[in-house]
Amino acid sequence: MYAVKRQMVMAAVGAMVMLVSSICFGSGIPDRITINSIQKYYDGVDFNHAAHINNLKDCGLCHHHTTGAQVSDPNCVRCHKNSGAQAVVSCKGCHSSTPFSPEELKRQKDQHPPIYHMDKVGLKGAYHLGCVGCHQKMGAPTGCEDCHKRNDSGNGIFHSGTYAPKTPGKAKSSHH
Amino acid sequence: MIDRRDFLKGCLACSVTAASISVVGKDAFAAGSFEGYPDAMGVLVDLTRCVGCRSCEAACNNEQKLPDPDLPFDDQSVFKEERRTTDKAYTVVNKYEIADKDTLFRKMQCNHCNEPACLTSCFVNAYTKTKEGAVIYNSKVCVGCRNCMIACPFNIPAYSYSSPTNPLIKKCIFCYDTRLKNGRPPACVEICPQQVMTFGHRSDLLAIGHERIKNDPAKYVNKVYGEKEVGGTSWMYLSSVDFDKVGLDNHMQNEPIISNVKDFLGMVPMVLSIWPALFTGIHLLATKNKGEHGDHDHEEGDQQ
Amino acid sequence: MKQYLTSNSDVQIVDSLRTDNDRGRRWTLMEKLFMGLTLQQYIAQAIRNPFNWFLALIFAIGFPVIIGRFIFGLEWATGGPQSNAWGLFLGFGLFGMVPLSSSGFQMGSAVEVFGRHDMEPLERLGILNGILGYFFAVIFLMVDLGQPWRLPYPMVVSWGPASVLFLVAWHVATYLSVQAAEMSTPFFEWMGWPAGRTVIKKMALGLAVAGIILSTLHQGALGALSSYAPGKIHPLWYSSSFQWLYFFVSSLPGGLCMVIVVSTIVIKTMAWRCDDNFKLNLDKLHISLAKGASMGLFTYFVIRMVGVAHDNKWAYLATGWGTWWMFEIGVGVILSMILLTVGARNKNLTLIRLGAWTTILGVILNRLNVYLITFNWKHGEIEIPPWREFMITITIYCVYIATYRFILYRWPVLFRWKTKYGEYTVLDAKTGAKPAVSEL
Repeated sequence: MYAVKRQMVMAAVGAMVMLVSSICFGSGIPDRITINSIQKYYDGVDFNHAAHINNLKDCGLCHHHTTGAQVSDPNCVRCHKNSGAQAVVSCKGCHSSTPFSPEELKRQKDQHPPIYHMDKVGLKGAYHLGCVGCHQKMGAPTGCEDCHKRNDSGNGIFHSGTYAPKTPGKAKSSHH
Repeated sequence: MIDRRDFLKGCLACSVTAASISVVGKDAFAAGSFEGYPDAMGVLVDLTRCVGCRSCEAACNNEQKLPDPDLPFDDQSVFKEERRTTDKAYTVVNKYEIADKDTLFRKMQCNHCNEPACLTSCFVNAYTKTKEGAVIYNSKVCVGCRNCMIACPFNIPAYSYSSPTNPLIKKCIFCYDTRLKNGRPPACVEICPQQVMTFGHRSDLLAIGHERIKNDPAKYVNKVYGEKEVGGTSWMYLSSVDFDKVGLDNHMQNEPIISNVKDFLGMVPMVLSIWPALFTGIHLLATKNKGEHGDHDHEEGDQQ
Repeated sequence: MKQYLTSNSDVQIVDSLRTDNDRGRRWTLMEKLFMGLTLQQYIAQAIRNPFNWFLALIFAIGFPVIIGRFIFGLEWATGGPQSNAWGLFLGFGLFGMVPLSSSGFQMGSAVEVFGRHDMEPLERLGILNGILGYFFAVIFLMVDLGQPWRLPYPMVVSWGPASVLFLVAWHVATYLSVQAAEMSTPFFEWMGWPAGRTVIKKMALGLAVAGIILSTLHQGALGALSSYAPGKIHPLWYSSSFQWLYFFVSSLPGGLCMVIVVSTIVIKTMAWRCDDNFKLNLDKLHISLAKGASMGLFTYFVIRMVGVAHDNKWAYLATGWGTWWMFEIGVGVILSMILLTVGARNKNLTLIRLGAWTTILGVILNRLNVYLITFNWKHGEIEIPPWREFMITITIYCVYIATYRFILYRWPVLFRWKTKYGEYTVLDAKTGAKPAVSEL
């Protein structure tokens, strides 16, 4: 009786595991992602996820170990050698969009033990450091507006576009 | 005729007063080394991340309500020459071409020293180092002597020379009024796409900086610039090349700038105490034999 | 004036009570201001002097520029340098003029403290040179400060007592008062206020000692100010340990040589104003001053060399900056020292006066090197101040010269007032029976 019950539970768990894996490695993966949760001076990015997957094949190049890929960074290996896939894989799931808010700083300070993930970049940093670094290596576009168009308020603070200085003077020589 | 004895008594009184002032004075001048406020915030600038987009310059201009720039902030032609901070730009990014290495960019702004030279050189005490770590400036008392510009080891303070009636020192104040005192990071840190700048408690940032070096010793020069320089600064730098190559003086003294004048300032109360008695004594020796006509003034007008 | 007096030898100038037909009457203030000349006579002598035309030309250009500096701001006048924050106004006007004004405390203390009464003929000139130098250093400062109307702030509004400049501000202000008190003696004599003069005379020793204290400290402090800028000033001109000593020690020969130079100019251009005591003793005194100055220069030379050795800066001597340094030391110190020493030994006044000039130029060059020329030497280029900054500097310096001359012409600095104050009351103005002039 007890043994039968146990087998049923195991079967159920097995089915669950297979289901989750299939989400990670196939059907549940979005082809296009609109990255717009922190847009302010630029429009959102229409990100072609499928094209990146096709080009790179290795999810771990962008997603750490969270997709279940093999961990290679020796520093991460120390703890995450056998961590496997995680429920949360998207960047914004872990990387805070307000990394320097008083609450976030406090959380970092109070974590025990205080040595892990203490230098975790914010969401914007995660996107750009991840994308731009690789784009540079792969010869992909690296200009700001190659990925996202600057909007009106962006032009405003950059004094560019319609907000450009009226008489574009020469770069004034600084006094040295 | 002068009553010399009265004068000498006066001298002695002066010496005693000066000596007693000197006790107070010397303590004040010889204050021990200051490690910075315990909860002071700071920023760690990782030069390996900067791509020279100048967003920080744009954000600073906007936050501090500075005058419109001569060129748009996305204009890369400014990198042709090395710039410095001015009264119209509290932060500027410079480009450094490194032989055999990638190009590096470095943002410069006030480094918010623990013991700022601007503060200690100011004769009207216009500067304050706040407990949050910012070095702020009181424009109400500034006389405009510009000694802070002479003293700043990083050449940061600028002066709005163009104003005839109210010229003032202009420099980065860590967005103290609008952000830092409410616990928020400065505008440049917030806008930076590459998170070149990490905002946090200075002590934590030091740990992070050394940790980054330890985790990737091939990438970084083994030094957190600003940890020790001129007594430590709130803004610190990590670099992949020698700091001299990105415009930061790698031979900066580790003692705060004030320590260069401490010896001299310490001598002041001694001179005030010793000189009166010493020179009055010399006078007595020098004029001893002249006795009665020690009052040398033998020309006419004195004979009333 | 000299030319005028040569051709009009009957003109009487004010140095005592009237000796002409109005014998015994006090001069009025207006008469004193015109030195006893009528307005026509005064103008006649003024326009005959070519130096006045030179001054007029400078003032005609310079005063509008000075006014412009206050209307249009500092950027208009100096270009607003952000990295070389201190320009000619302070580099020359403050840091250059103050060491040359140490004559005030040196002459004062030589006479009052050390009992060198043989120095008396030059005592007042030394003190006048001191107070004018300081006063015009403050004028230069007022032009340079962004907000000169806040100059009293370090005294009354907000104190920054850990600052070297705070010390300078207080000491210069105090020392100006001390010198004003010392200088009020000839002023009171000239005005005919014997009571004020008597009070000051009683304070003479105290004032002289205060002068020594304040001068030691702020002459040194002007050097200590540059200790704030290690790395910006070229290492050959910088020493955090000795900088204040360099400035203090070099100010001593600087001040003495300034007295030699000024009294030489005076004896050449306004001998009519000097009394016999001044004229007859001048050569002897110049030799004494030259001896003192050469001792000072020797000490200065030794400590400059010690400074180079102490921080082992010999390697810098082989660079372009090193050549410039050797020029400063070679001409300003070594050559001056030789000229003064040889001149004093052989009683050769030409050598002494030449040596005094090179000493002064050496001191000024040193200050310019520290605060202007080598400042930010790592940037590689020397900032040349714009013409308006030069013009303002020259103009203020000319005002200084004009003021200097104005006082020397009138106050009993180069001569002693020939009248006993007490005799004002007993003189019979109408008959003039009693001789008003008592010769020294």
